[in-house]
Amino acid sequence: MNKILNAIKPYFLIILSIVVLFIIWQLAAVALDSEILLPNVFSVLKSFVGLFQTKDFKMDLGFTVYRAFKSFVIIVVSGAIFGVLGGRFKGIGLWLSPLLTVLKSTPVMSVILLAFIWFETGTVPVFSAFLMAFPIMYLQMKTGYFSLEEEMNQMCALYGLSKKDKMLHYVIPSLTTSFVIGGKQTLSMIWKVVIAAEVLTVPQFGVGAKMQLSQMQLETGSVLAWTMVAIVLTALGDFVFFFISNIIKSIINNKKRTNAL
Amino acid sequence: MIVKDLTFSYAGNKIFDNFSVSIPQNQICTVIGGSGCGKSTLLKLIASLIKKDGGGIIFEENEKGAVSYLFQEPRLLPTENVYTNVELVLRPSIPDNKKRKERVFYYLNRVGLFEDRTKFPSELSGGMKQRVAIARAFAYPSKLILMDEPMQGLDIKSRQVVLGLFYDLWQKDPRTTLFVTHDLRDAITRGSSILALGNPKKPVDFINLNHFKPLDDEKYGKLENRLLKDILAY
Repeated sequence: MNKILNAIKPYFLIILSIVVLFIIWQLAAVALDSEILLPNVFSVLKSFVGLFQTKDFKMDLGFTVYRAFKSFVIIVVSGAIFGVLGGRFKGIGLWLSPLLTVLKSTPVMSVILLAFIWFETGTVPVFSAFLMAFPIMYLQMKTGYFSLEEEMNQMCALYGLSKKDKMLHYVIPSLTTSFVIGGKQTLSMIWKVVIAAEVLTVPQFGVGAKMQLSQMQLETGSVLAWTMVAIVLTALGDFVFFFISNIIKSIINNKKRTNAL
Repeated sequence: MIVKDLTFSYAGNKIFDNFSVSIPQNQICTVIGGSGCGKSTLLKLIASLIKKDGGGIIFEENEKGAVSYLFQEPRLLPTENVYTNVELVLRPSIPDNKKRKERVFYYLNRVGLFEDRTKFPSELSGGMKQRVAIARAFAYPSKLILMDEPMQGLDIKSRQVVLGLFYDLWQKDPRTTLFVTHDLRDAITRGSSILALGNPKKPVDFINLNHFKPLDDEKYGKLENRLLKDILAY
């Protein structure tokens, strides 16, 4: 029992905060007394659990995850490459700056609506996510490149480090922090844009599509249950990303320690 | 090494103006002077880190080649451990892994960091980081050692430890060394010659001590007063 309490202790405030949010929600639902305006916590939780048993749940979830993952890979790879190039070559940075300003200030909905005119339903979420999240990754990597220190470049040059060693042991590891931060922020943005695009374009399968269908049928409980699915997906995505990056870091550090023995 | 008619300006200020001096080879020449008088600039010009406006630096035959530079900060690769920070600079000159490892182990032993070789810079104290930098500087097969106040920022104890280690290693493997310092005591006790800077046209003072033995109090006091006057004159 003590072990469980000790494990919970650091998260006590978070857990308490969640409980308070649920209490406020429940009190508001009781006060409004309308399943359409705000269903109570228990009926939404029931809908949430019920979603897992629906026929298409795996397909809806799978397609949303697939679109998010596809967008994520495209964005982190292209954002990292262009970010480094933009940092390294002033001309490329300047060339891309108007496009980035446009992308950063364009409302998500405009992008989705335009993409819906141009592309087929399934492509819209990926394209929209790219336009919305690419600037995040790009700017993070560009800033990371700028933070490479001239002093360290001097040291590498004076001690005759080869280009390969400099890249492997200084440049790439120094950019890793920016890559991880950029990747995390990109992922959070992707979930929101992908689901928003699914809501507007209503593909055959997708969390957003199901949200839209529930909303049309005034099933507020179901909308909230699908929203919960989206929240869980985002949290899970964050956790998986954090977990994988920590594992990679630990493997690399262990290898480095072994080399020194 | 002979610095001949060296000219260098920075932001409109003439730091060196046809400046010439001869630095004895295989000795430690300490460099003193007030802030902004060109101590670090001289080292950077010798290492070709910055371009001179005129003049030249003529190296003796055994001074031509690679340079070990000890910076004010240790400048260690932050994501590499102690071992790799030293090992990396040996890769071009010692392709054989086993021989390279032996050399790294030897120098890490000499600076007392063998047991800490798997640690990363973030796990080391300031003094330990500077000891890694010293191991790297000596392990590197250089012809010259340039030290730009590497003990700055260390507490008295760490400073003495680091200086002592440097001196031990240097005596085993002497190379022409320029050691910039603000500390007159270090300048007198560690240098076999002392170069005082401040006048862009010529050295304010150049004292050839030609000894490595401790000075008696009287001689030490006289030297300290002389250097103090040199610094205050500019």
